[in-house]
Order: sequence, then structure tokens, then C-alpha cells
Amino acid sequence: MTQHKNPYKPIDAEVIDIIDESPTIKSFVLKPAEPIPFKAGQFVELTLPGSGEAPFTPSSSPSQKETMEISIMKAGRVTGQLHDIPKGTTLGIRGPLGNGYPLDKFAGKQVYIVGGGVGLAPIRSLFLALVERKNDFAGIVCRYGARTPEDFIYKHTTFNEWPNIDGVNMKLTADQGNDQWKHNVGVVTTILSPDDVKINNSVAVVCGPPIMMKFVTLKLLEFGFKAEQIYLSMEKNMSCGIGMCGHCMIGKYYVCKDGPVFTYDQIKDYPKIWE
Amino acid sequence: MGTVFVENLKALFDAVSAERELYIPKNAGAHYVYKLYRPDEEAVFNEVRVCTPIKEFLFPIRELAAVFPQEEDQFEVKPFAVFGLKDCDLRSIEILDNVFKEDDFKDPLYISRREKMFIIASDCTEPAENCFCYLFGGKSWAEKGFDMNVSPVEGGFLVESGSDTGNDFLAKAHFAQVQPGQIAQRDENRKKADQILAENNAKFKLDRPVQEIVEGADGEQLYTAQAEGCVECQACTRVCPTCHCFYLQDTKLKDYYGKMKMWDSCMRMSYAAVAGGENPRKAISERIKHRLLHKFSYYLQRYGINMCVGCGRCIDAESGKMDLRRLLRELNDEVNRK
Repeated sequence: MTQHKNPYKPIDAEVIDIIDESPTIKSFVLKPAEPIPFKAGQFVELTLPGSGEAPFTPSSSPSQKETMEISIMKAGRVTGQLHDIPKGTTLGIRGPLGNGYPLDKFAGKQVYIVGGGVGLAPIRSLFLALVERKNDFAGIVCRYGARTPEDFIYKHTTFNEWPNIDGVNMKLTADQGNDQWKHNVGVVTTILSPDDVKINNSVAVVCGPPIMMKFVTLKLLEFGFKAEQIYLSMEKNMSCGIGMCGHCMIGKYYVCKDGPVFTYDQIKDYPKIWE
Repeated sequence: MGTVFVENLKALFDAVSAERELYIPKNAGAHYVYKLYRPDEEAVFNEVRVCTPIKEFLFPIRELAAVFPQEEDQFEVKPFAVFGLKDCDLRSIEILDNVFKEDDFKDPLYISRREKMFIIASDCTEPAENCFCYLFGGKSWAEKGFDMNVSPVEGGFLVESGSDTGNDFLAKAHFAQVQPGQIAQRDENRKKADQILAENNAKFKLDRPVQEIVEGADGEQLYTAQAEGCVECQACTRVCPTCHCFYLQDTKLKDYYGKMKMWDSCMRMSYAAVAGGENPRKAISERIKHRLLHKFSYYLQRYGINMCVGCGRCIDAESGKMDLRRLLRELNDEVNRK
């Protein structure tokens, strides 16, 4: 590293493939000019040159070195423009940023993953990392919901592959089903049960829209989870990504630097964490 | 570190500006602003801090933070000097240093400027009515954080060095020796100015550490009342020498792309809004509260000092009627009533 490496400068990343995941979500397969080694749960700042920058958590496995996958929901100006770019576009990328999931702290425990909507993106990266060393954990229990069957991302893997992995227990739900939907209908909290895991030997990982994270957290507390067992991936409006610009603050924490993964215990006393 | 005597500031300014660009305060109505010194310029001693924040020299309103792809970053900063910083200004630099020079990530733009800045502080001889450094451990003169410090005495100025660079400069400059009684006179002047600060702020004195006050007060009524007078001009954060929020704006330049780093303000409506539209601080009162908590609780927890130096610029610039001292005092009273 040079003496004052410029943390604001992105490196090139070519978009080598684009996958339509759902009506509002696309996955972009990127090939950065140099590999960006990251831990599951860390994020990157993706630049559409000349237009804007936004934070995203990669959805690919950290062990996949040459390429990185990022799922993007059309939510604002930059994400809208990203949805319109063709394959072959060169984007800019800064990272990895933030802390990621503390997998070593999860060792020996059951990992109880609750995801919603596009929140499955960081969770996919975590899931793949967990599966790669699944003997280190007491089991992987996944509960995943989306608004409609159409809104599920990574459909092939979530519907067909992941539930069949030895050591993985998976349940799916859609807020509204359809004729072909074989799984539960209802919000994600309707498929959570205190018997899903041995609570005193597990950690919960929650990622999804703020309202979903709120109600899942409350449900987990009701089941008897302690605040420090619940890991939340807080996605605020990170801009600089390096703990300076102030946009993403939750209380004394910079989500970009001290997070984006926090235990509920760390942030529960600050105002309006779910907004 | 030594102290010397000069009869007039011009001699000092000419010597400094022979080696590096020098910025000095210039009268602008009731206030001072900075401008580049030229030898035909009148050399003015600013008896109080300038009205603009010192952060402008280290963290400009707008700057090109990165160009890409390929282009090498050029952060060539020429050595420069700034005269007339007061104790509050020096403490504001310490606060910014913590943010931009923190260990794991460093801001190369800030650091390049910081390394090239030659700081000539000066005693604050006539604190303004809105100065409240006194409430936060500040005083009218500085003990550290400068390369040189200037104190007016009868017939001229004492110049004290505060760093090796300052020492080297004074060693080369051959100014006069300090005369008997001048140090005592300087100390007497300082005592008088400190006395003014103490008197001006007597009615705002807080009964407990400010962190306990901002954390302990619910403040809802007080923040809402403040918000009613706020016109969201954001001037308080712009002139604040410690506020350092910024945003990165992507631009297309002639042959490459760039990221501009620009001042931002936590008082702006959409400052904390996310792409999906959620916004934890829609109400102005919530933004005022966040600003106070950042200054007196969050920053303190992170770096061990308050993020306010009590320079009073926010009170000077305020378009509404917000007075930070008064607000803190009212929050103090609310906590007392609990």
C-alpha cells in the first residue's frame, strides 16, 4: 500500500453477465481489474461512472476470487440506471468495506438465517461461506420470504438446490402465493418457531427490508434470543464507506465502518434504527 | 522553543510569505475573512477569530477527490501558512485530524494539506459576544497546536515558536529579543481576555458534563421549539469548524470520470434518507437533536473529546434564533428538574 492510498478511487470492474432475478432485481456478475478479497457481509461501493455510486453487499461466495456477484433492486436513481446498462459496461468498485459476519464467533453453533426480499443477497454470500465449512457449525437453518413467488431471487438455487444440502433446513414463504406455490403463505414471521433451533446454542442472522428486520427481531426476542445473539445487516446510505462523511450514522456507530453487521444489542437503544 | 519580539506584523508577514503562501485576515464589515497576503497589503491583527471556519484550508467546500480510470491522483499541495488562528481554531483542527487521519483509512487530500500547513496562531484579545469556548475548556490563547503564536504587547508583538518548523523559522529570521516585562504584559492581557469570556458566559454555565445533559434530556419540547425557528439554511453546519459531513458526487470530466467531495449538512432534509425512501430524521427537531448528540455524545465516545470548540460561529450565522449555548443551558435545566 502506498503511503496515502486514495480510498475514494474506484478500480475498474467489467460487467460480464446480467441475470434477471425478479421483476425489480437483477444480478450483475463483475470481473474487477484486480481481485477484491472480502468476507461475507462486507460491502462495496459500486460506481456508475459519471453518474453515481451506491453501496451493495456481494451475494457470491467469498471463496470465488475472480468474479463477484451483486444483486441490485431498482430503488432509486443510481440503481435504476444500473438496471439499464448492457453487458460489457465498465463500472467502478471500492472495497471491501465494513466488518462482515463474524464466522469464527458462529463456530459450533446453529446459524439461524432469516431473510426477506433482496435481503437474501448478503445472506447468499454468508450461506455459501457456511456451507463450504459446514462441519464447523451445528447446522444451518434458513427461513426466507418474499412478497410473491415471482419476487424470490436465486430461484433455482433457493427452490431446488439449497433445501437438499445435507445439514441445511430450509423453509420458504410468500406474502401472497399463487396456484403453483407449494410453500407457506404469509409474512416471514409466520414460518418462525422457537423449535427451529436450540436457542441457547445458536445465532440468528437477519437481513431484509427494515420493517421485516424489525418484526423478525421482536419475534426472536419473544422466542428467548438474547439481543447479542441477533446479527442484523444494517444497510444505511453509506457514501464514503470509510467512517468520515457521516451519512450512515446510527448513534456513535458508522454503519460503513463499524458495521454493516451489528448485534441488536449494539444498536437497540438508538432512535429509529429501523427507518 | 523560543520567543522573540517584532515591532510590526508586516516584518513577520514578509518573512513568512517569502517562503510560502500566507493567508491573513482581512476586514469584511463587522467580521474578518481570509485572503492571500501580498507585501503591499495592510497587515491587520484580528483581535477575534475570523468568521469563516479554518476547515476550508484543509477540507475545501468542493474538491476533486479521485479521477478514474487510470489517471494518477495528484495531490500536490504547495506549502502555505495561515495567520490569526485562535485557540478554538486549533482545537477544531485536532477534531478534524481524528476523523480524517484515523488509523485504518486516511483521507489523502486532507493529510496532504495538513502536512503543508504552517500555523501562526494569535491571542484572542477581544472575544466576541457569541464566543463560548470558555464553556468547553477553551481560552483566549493557545498552548499547543501551532507552529508560531503571536501576542500583542505594547509597541509590537511577541512571537513564540511551538514546533520545530516554527523554531527553525525564528532562528533564521533574526527578530529582536524579548524585552523585560513583555512576557508579564502578555500574560496580563491574556488574563483580561479570559475574564471577558468568563463574564460573557456566566449565565450559560452548565451544571454537569455536557454529555450527561444531551444524553439525559429528552428535550422533545426544546428541540421542537428550536425547529420552529429553523429555516433549514444549514449555515450552522457550514460555518462550524468541526462539522465535517460530506458527500461524493460522480461527474464526467473531459477525458475521465471524477468524484467530487463536497460539504454536506446533517440539517438537510434528505441527508439520512436511503434509496428506498426511509428517513430516520424527517423532522427538523430530530436533525437538531442528532447534531447535538453527534457533537457532545457520539464523537466524544469515539475520540474522547467534544466535537464543539465553542467558537460561536453558528450563533453568528444563524438565520433563525438558535443559540447553542442557550439550548444547552435549557437542556441542562430540564435534566436538573428530573
